Amino acid sequence: MGFVSMIMGFCGFGVGISSGLVAGYFLFIYFQPSDVKNPTIRPLVEQDSKTLQQLLPEIPFWVKNPDYDRVDWLNKFLEVMWPYLDKAICKTAKNIATPIISEQIPKYKIESLEFEALTLGALPPTFQGMKVYLTEEKELIMEPALKWAGNPNVTVAVKAYGLKATVQVVDLQVFAVPRITLKPLVPSFPCFANIVVSLMEKPHVDFGLKLGGADLMSIPGLYGFVQETIKDQVANMYLWPKTLEVQVLDPTKAMKKPVGILHAKVVRALKLKKKDLLGASDPYVKLKLTETKAPSKKTTVKHKNLNPEWNEEFSMVVKDPETQALELLVYDWEQVGKHEKMGMNVVPLKDLPPDESKTLTLPLLKNMDPNDVQNDKVRGQIEVELTYKPFKDEDLPKDFEESGEVQKAPDGTPPGGGALVVTVHEAQDVEGKHHTNPYVRIICKGEERKTKQVKKNRDPRWDEDFTFMMEEPPLKDKLHVEVLSTSTRIGLLHPKETLGYVDISLADVVSNKRINDKFHLIDSKNGRIQIELQWQTS
Amino acid sequence: MGLVSGMVMGMVFGIALMTGWKYMMEHRSRKRVAKAVDIKLLSSLNRDDMKKICGENCPEWISFPVYEQVKWLNKQLNKLWPFVADAAEAVIKESVEPLLEEYRPPGITSLKFSKLSLGTVAPKIEGIRVQSLKEGQITMDIDLRWGGDPSIILAVEAALVASIPIQLKDLKVFTVVRAIFQLTDEIPCISAVVVALLAEPKPRIDYTLKAVGGSLTAIPGLSDMIDDTVNTIVMDMLQWPHRIVVPIGGIPVDTSELELKPVGLLKVTIVKANDLKNMELIGKSDPYVTVHIRPLFKVKTKVVNNNLNPTWNQTFNLIAEDKETQSLILEVFDQDIGQDKRLGIAKMPLIELEAETPKEVELRLYPSLDMLKIKDKKDRGTITVQVFYHEFTKEEQIAALEEEKRILEERKKLKEAGVIGSTMDALDGAASLVGSGITGGAGLVGSGIGAGASFVGSGFGAVGSGLSKAGKFMGRTITGSSTTKRNGASTPVHPQENGGAKPV
Repeated sequence: MGFVSMIMGFCGFGVGISSGLVAGYFLFIYFQPSDVKNPTIRPLVEQDSKTLQQLLPEIPFWVKNPDYDRVDWLNKFLEVMWPYLDKAICKTAKNIATPIISEQIPKYKIESLEFEALTLGALPPTFQGMKVYLTEEKELIMEPALKWAGNPNVTVAVKAYGLKATVQVVDLQVFAVPRITLKPLVPSFPCFANIVVSLMEKPHVDFGLKLGGADLMSIPGLYGFVQETIKDQVANMYLWPKTLEVQVLDPTKAMKKPVGILHAKVVRALKLKKKDLLGASDPYVKLKLTETKAPSKKTTVKHKNLNPEWNEEFSMVVKDPETQALELLVYDWEQVGKHEKMGMNVVPLKDLPPDESKTLTLPLLKNMDPNDVQNDKVRGQIEVELTYKPFKDEDLPKDFEESGEVQKAPDGTPPGGGALVVTVHEAQDVEGKHHTNPYVRIICKGEERKTKQVKKNRDPRWDEDFTFMMEEPPLKDKLHVEVLSTSTRIGLLHPKETLGYVDISLADVVSNKRINDKFHLIDSKNGRIQIELQWQTS
Repeated sequence: MGLVSGMVMGMVFGIALMTGWKYMMEHRSRKRVAKAVDIKLLSSLNRDDMKKICGENCPEWISFPVYEQVKWLNKQLNKLWPFVADAAEAVIKESVEPLLEEYRPPGITSLKFSKLSLGTVAPKIEGIRVQSLKEGQITMDIDLRWGGDPSIILAVEAALVASIPIQLKDLKVFTVVRAIFQLTDEIPCISAVVVALLAEPKPRIDYTLKAVGGSLTAIPGLSDMIDDTVNTIVMDMLQWPHRIVVPIGGIPVDTSELELKPVGLLKVTIVKANDLKNMELIGKSDPYVTVHIRPLFKVKTKVVNNNLNPTWNQTFNLIAEDKETQSLILEVFDQDIGQDKRLGIAKMPLIELEAETPKEVELRLYPSLDMLKIKDKKDRGTITVQVFYHEFTKEEQIAALEEEKRILEERKKLKEAGVIGSTMDALDGAASLVGSGITGGAGLVGSGIGAGASFVGSGFGAVGSGLSKAGKFMGRTITGSSTTKRNGASTPVHPQENGGAKPV
């Protein structure tokens, strides 16, 4: 009897517990509202000390650490922008997801799957501080401390087999410290070629996942497991030194490296118009490539000649054959006063076949405006011979591609030896007693090289490369770097001054392959010089 | 018996389980919301909040200026500067050269950059302030200071004088840049950016001019003329309420809301002036007045000879674009052989005016509007004006806008029609220059007659063809009806008269 009632009791318990669960579910969960409310936010000043105590662990980095900067203005910006951003992001997400969903659902025998609600909530992500690092490389590094504790509401309704289930994600919280590196820096907008993002710590992720109204994440144990899994997954992909790289610009183009050489031969001009009152004009030709800073080249002046023959050759470095053009300007030389323009023409480099000599006879124009009536006047002609020689792929400077890595030494390097490449980047706070027109002299094993001179500048920038060939690794040698200044005036007192020097041991370079550092100058108050050294072996 | 009690117990257990879950759910949800609130609160702290949190132990490195400091941005900018400078040089050259062309004073035939390098010193952002003054807009004020070492060489060509390279040295710019971001629902969420320099504090742009391998005196009044050109460009293009609107994001958006629009008409009657300063050695000054709200649209009264208490009683109509910040500027000049001398300047902020109510005011004349530059405290007399401000209705505004557009188009047409650059510039140039005679630029045209012969000559042909058009154009500029035409005839506002009359 007791046994039977026990059995009955168990059966009853089984039925009871399931009906109890169902009743409880409907009572406490199903009929509870599932919409997401905006939390009420009271100003901090009004809060009591207990809530303040809770807040303390979340105090932003910039309060705690002086090396973080406050970026509340950015937070304010985001806050105002957030409603718009929210709408835009949700719209885009929906637009992207809808076609994918409609394509995928027939496979899983799901009738429909749609977003019942999709909003990122009223609370924007916040930056709790910004830290930047300065290095000697061509890169910008910043670490914003990002915290997003939002109240988004993403509800997906799934219909299958006549049943409907909703999955809702609420209260998503993501805290992360990403390191954003912009590199390399390039001289065209937006001034960097790649954005590299990686996470410095495992991110903190928290959220509620409601299935039919019940938050699965509050089942003890499950949340911890899910959170760990997500953290590990993200860490696997993006935790430093793993990175996510986004290209913004094509770096080779952005760098504007030379890609070829234009050889131009000014042969002659014909039937130039007379400009001088007395006698014939004294013509000369100015050649210039557009979009460069290189000074224009000039032919000699042919006095009193309206059909001058020059046969002079020039070569110019080409950086972008698609957009650059060669300008030819014929001027009339004058002893006194302004040299008058006699005519001009422009040859776009894209019209020139590569590696092929082309002789052109061009009419001279007043200006390049095709509508200008003045161009109908005959001003004479000019004959030029142009050859555009693009660099072969192998002569293209490749250091850019693997910046930070050391290239192979050029051909002809003796075996066992290598090439020492010295790049003089810039100096700071160099000052001479009488003049500051700094240039750098570097001496390596008795070989001497000089940079160009920068006039009147305490913080000169040279960015010049020098290569020294070595028979063997220079383990015991030193590189002597000296900043000098010469007077711009001739024959006065103090013609030359030393602004400071530094000796750099080369053994470190050989073992490290590459060193890029700022060195303090000796015999200088505060001067520093940035030198990059590379040891290239074959 | 067992079944029932089992069921009851099971039910109780089941419900208890659910209650427990629910409790857990609520607990976690509460915790998350509390955290969200904390994070939100901590995203913008002020001094009081800091005191509340830290008590007495507030760290020393924290301060709360009006403009938030951005050390990190400056560090980055310093590093980035050589690259930005390189990239910006081309952009600046392209965008500023047409501007120089447009605002070039008539005495100069060509104004171009022959060298532009921004130097090695990066601008410093003193601080940033973000406000939301209007729904759907973010206003960002950037306090910018740049004491750089740029090397800017302008190739200045005046008539018959060889091109003189003029170097702008020791350029210093102190200004607050206001950027207004117009928000939208489409990515990237910003449909347009409005950029302007705040008028208050007034932008300060200092530089010294130096002629390379020559002397500035080669063209008289040149340095003043360049000063004036720079001033006019800054005032009329960049300084609030004038602004540059940049659409962003490739979506065609209606930015007309953001553009500066005529909001009202100011009718000014220059009645008289009293106790003007005598500038001439023999006899008395020959005063005339120029009036403007925007330097580009200047009008001028007739000259009253030999009188220190002249009466003009002339009426002009000027268009106001922003009543809150714009001012009416009145300048009194002494007409003279050579450079016209300024007898005094007066300013009346439009905000002081009530709409649709005539008002007569007597303004004191000052040697300069910049109080710091005033050296002598001598009395310079007063000027009496009657003003009447009429606020445009929607229709009138649209009409005025159309008018402005047509003027701009006409200008373009004139340029395309081959009216030589110089005449073109005399059109708007003279209007601005004659008035903005701070420079005595007008005087230059006169003094440089010999030199200016070619300019005038080349201008002449065009004058003929452009006369009717230009006449219309000037009439419209002052949006006047009958009064304007009368004034137009009696005063040498006409650029043609300027160019044509003087050499005679």
